[in-house]
Amino acid sequence: MPDELDLLQGTLDVLVLRALSHGPRHGYAIAQWIQDNSDGTFRILDGALYTSLHRMEEKGWAEAEWGTSERGKRARFYELTPAGRAELQLRTTRWERYVNAVAHVMAAPAPA
Amino acid sequence: MTRRRPPDPLPLSTQKPVDEDVQRELAQHIEFRTEELMAEGWTAEAARAEALRAFGDVATIADECREITVRDRRSRRRDEWFGALIHDVRFAFRILRRSPAFTLGAVLTLALGIGANTAIFSVVNGVLLRPLPYDHPEQLVRVFETSERGGASDLAEPNFDDWRAQARSFDGMAAYGSDVGTLLGADIPSRVRSTAVSADFFRLMRVQPVMGRLPAPDEFAVGAPPVAVVSYRFWQDRLGGTRDLADRRLRSEYDFQVVGVLPQGFGFPDESDLWFPIELFGRNESRTAHNYSAVARLKPGLTPLDADRELDALTEPMRAQYLPDFDAVGATVIPLRELEAGPLREPLFLLLGASGLLLLAACTNLASSMLVRGSARAHELAIRAAIGAGRGRLVRQVFTESMLIALLGCAAGLVVAQVVERGLLLLAPAGMVPIEGAPFDLRVLGFSLLLTLLTAALFGLLPAMRMSGVRPATAMREGTRHSGSRKSRRLWSTLVAVEVALAVMLLCGSGLLLRSFAAITRIDPGFRAEGVITALLDLPDAGYPDVQQAVAFHDRLLAALADAPGVVAAGVTNQLPLEGNQPSGAIQVEGKPTLPAGPFTGYAIYRTASPRYFEAMGIPLLAGRPFNDRDRAGAPRVVIVTKGLAEREWPGEDPIGKHFRVYGMDGGEEPYGTVIGVVADIPQGAITDARREAYWYPYSQNPYRTRSMKLVVRTAGDPAALAPMLSKMVHDIDPTLPLEFRTMEERLASTIADRRFTMVVLASFAVVALLLAALGIYGVVSYTVAQRTREIGIRIALGAEPTRVQRLVQGGAMAVIGTGIVVGGVGAVVGTRVMRALLYGVEPGDAATFGVAVGLLLLVGFLASWWPARRSAGIDPVRAIQAE
Repeated sequence: MPDELDLLQGTLDVLVLRALSHGPRHGYAIAQWIQDNSDGTFRILDGALYTSLHRMEEKGWAEAEWGTSERGKRARFYELTPAGRAELQLRTTRWERYVNAVAHVMAAPAPA
Repeated sequence: MTRRRPPDPLPLSTQKPVDEDVQRELAQHIEFRTEELMAEGWTAEAARAEALRAFGDVATIADECREITVRDRRSRRRDEWFGALIHDVRFAFRILRRSPAFTLGAVLTLALGIGANTAIFSVVNGVLLRPLPYDHPEQLVRVFETSERGGASDLAEPNFDDWRAQARSFDGMAAYGSDVGTLLGADIPSRVRSTAVSADFFRLMRVQPVMGRLPAPDEFAVGAPPVAVVSYRFWQDRLGGTRDLADRRLRSEYDFQVVGVLPQGFGFPDESDLWFPIELFGRNESRTAHNYSAVARLKPGLTPLDADRELDALTEPMRAQYLPDFDAVGATVIPLRELEAGPLREPLFLLLGASGLLLLAACTNLASSMLVRGSARAHELAIRAAIGAGRGRLVRQVFTESMLIALLGCAAGLVVAQVVERGLLLLAPAGMVPIEGAPFDLRVLGFSLLLTLLTAALFGLLPAMRMSGVRPATAMREGTRHSGSRKSRRLWSTLVAVEVALAVMLLCGSGLLLRSFAAITRIDPGFRAEGVITALLDLPDAGYPDVQQAVAFHDRLLAALADAPGVVAAGVTNQLPLEGNQPSGAIQVEGKPTLPAGPFTGYAIYRTASPRYFEAMGIPLLAGRPFNDRDRAGAPRVVIVTKGLAEREWPGEDPIGKHFRVYGMDGGEEPYGTVIGVVADIPQGAITDARREAYWYPYSQNPYRTRSMKLVVRTAGDPAALAPMLSKMVHDIDPTLPLEFRTMEERLASTIADRRFTMVVLASFAVVALLLAALGIYGVVSYTVAQRTREIGIRIALGAEPTRVQRLVQGGAMAVIGTGIVVGGVGAVVGTRVMRALLYGVEPGDAATFGVAVGLLLLVGFLASWWPARRSAGIDPVRAIQAE
């Protein structure tokens, strides 16, 4: 995988929240979803995902319970709580403002 | 999203399952990845290796995840616990609000119990537990000589020197002598306690001056110029806090140069204000003149007993060497703390114990009313149990209620304590409460909180267990009519019996004190206190350098008083009755064999008096004549003796005309005196002390110590009203004398004030306990009657006589009361033994007192059960049966 990028601080949480916004997922599914949709751009170790998930559980953004995966295996499923949804909304807005601002500056004409 | 969290498959508390959980989750991920890669055509091994690489450090990640989750679960559990607590407290509030009468009664009962305990404890805390204001006070001890007659006396000077030089138990030993006298040179002439101390004193007490210096070593020498240090308080109040001590001179017997100020709070002994080198007094080489008080500091780790043994051993060879000029047989070493707490120790601990019993009575009372309520609430609890509340949960709920009541009781109790304490201070004998008052400090607060917890446990836990133990099915079937099961009736009986027993014990105890007090007030003191006013006439040595000037002062004052209006008789003496036990001095009775201890024949207390002193004090003359104005210096020496002394020295003979003299007191041989009169025995110290033999000289014939005399005036009307006139007459002669009047009745009352205090407090505890017992009996009998209405109705319907039914109900109650009385009686027989030292004229197990206590309880018990039992006779059978 050529040209992998390090993830900006805190970005992983947003990606995980986003992944969970479509419904309950287990960790592996989230990892796959992020990998598929970023065309493998980010250099994320799978492990980091789990600390992120557990921390979200602690913060009350997600709840976890054991369930059965599509392949019939026991797996731990995470689901967003209302607090988690609110957090996603907040972070999404903030992210968009950030990207727009950066893009705006990058596209600005040379200083007079 | 309102999805209920499924029951967690793993227990919350242990860490290991969390660990397994995390391991399983991470392993699953790696397995998924491996499978995925294998599906893409990787070999099993390569796929697994790649999956692990892509994951990162499994162990570290697992650790992190586990840590987060454990933390999370812990905090969730705490939240849940708090949530439940808040719920319980809210619920308990609602329950208590629903029955305000019960709540109020319970809170007030507890407030009384906790309030009484807190008040007594805060006095104990202030008086007994307050640390002495010295460095390592536990090491400080007082040292006494044990005399041949068994008493403890101060030390003879050479004996002090020997002990100090030889004893290895001490880190220092100092001599001192303390007295109150008039001091001139401060802003006003004042009566001040001053203390002569030996060189070791300040080092031993570990006290450093806050200003100036201590007396230098060479100032602790016979003949050195007199220097003194003063207390911080004296420096502030009397010297105006001056920074310049250089020309501050204070005059009493000596003319002191003030050289230093001691730190605030230091006032050993007895709030002394002035300290100076003891060598000023010169030296007395006699080994039987007990002039030195001694204080010592134990070496770390040694006990007073160690020192006592060592000094006893040192005394033996000294005794062999110095007899007959030696009257010690050993030493007595007592911790300073014990002496400072003094006579208040026993009454205070007794009251603390008694207030504990009172609190126990309050708890028992509450426990039984909680049980009554519990039965009424059995239905509600049964329903809650049926819909899934666990037993632990119910216990907690009921206990929360108890705890809430206890906390409310504690809060109210603190208010009660303040009120009670104010009352105690009014009642308390002078000196009971230290100068700062009994502080309401953290220790007191902690004590009452501890009591609260304890009471909640006592009166709350038992009913909580009982109530939650009710089987839902049984309780619901019985509806609201929970006929008290046999088991809970037995429990109630026990509680009522305990209340009765506690009341019996407190009644017996206070009855004994009451009888002691009555016996004491019946004692004939040997003088008539009514109408007598007294004042200390303390003539400063500086103003009266020659003792004859003091004699002249008293002569002049008494001559003026002889014709004063309102004065029946006036006199002076060196020591009033009740003023304090003084050591007996040696005497020589003509014609009697001398004692082995020395060339004297016995001991008696030395006194001086003016001619009309006995008349003024109302001490009856039993034989002979009083002193008169012709018994002056130069006339033949005359003595008046007490009846006890006459009977001891001349049994069966007429004491009038016999000869005896003081031995060695004023130095040198003195002529024999002739006994001219015999008076009644009078108490020297406490009125209950054995009357000791005493004798009086006319002060003009034996003017030793005549500078400090007490004026005694018998008045026609109110003695206190005469004080201004007396004050003016004294000040006409010497305007600088500080004067303070006290009536003899006040003195008499103050000597028994501590007894009255103990008696009143204990009696009020007993009354409250009796009241609680009555309420308890009343409550339980009423409740029993209410519960058994149906059964009684059936009995009456079947032809039972209503009065017989009433007798049956009351008989059961009286049986319980009887059991309580027996148990309480036994407890009182054992318990009142600790009071022995506080009793007078009555034995701890006094049958008459106990009889009255038992009778009182039987009466109260009868009335308290008769009232509700009467209702049982009035039950209408038809209505009683239909009511269900």
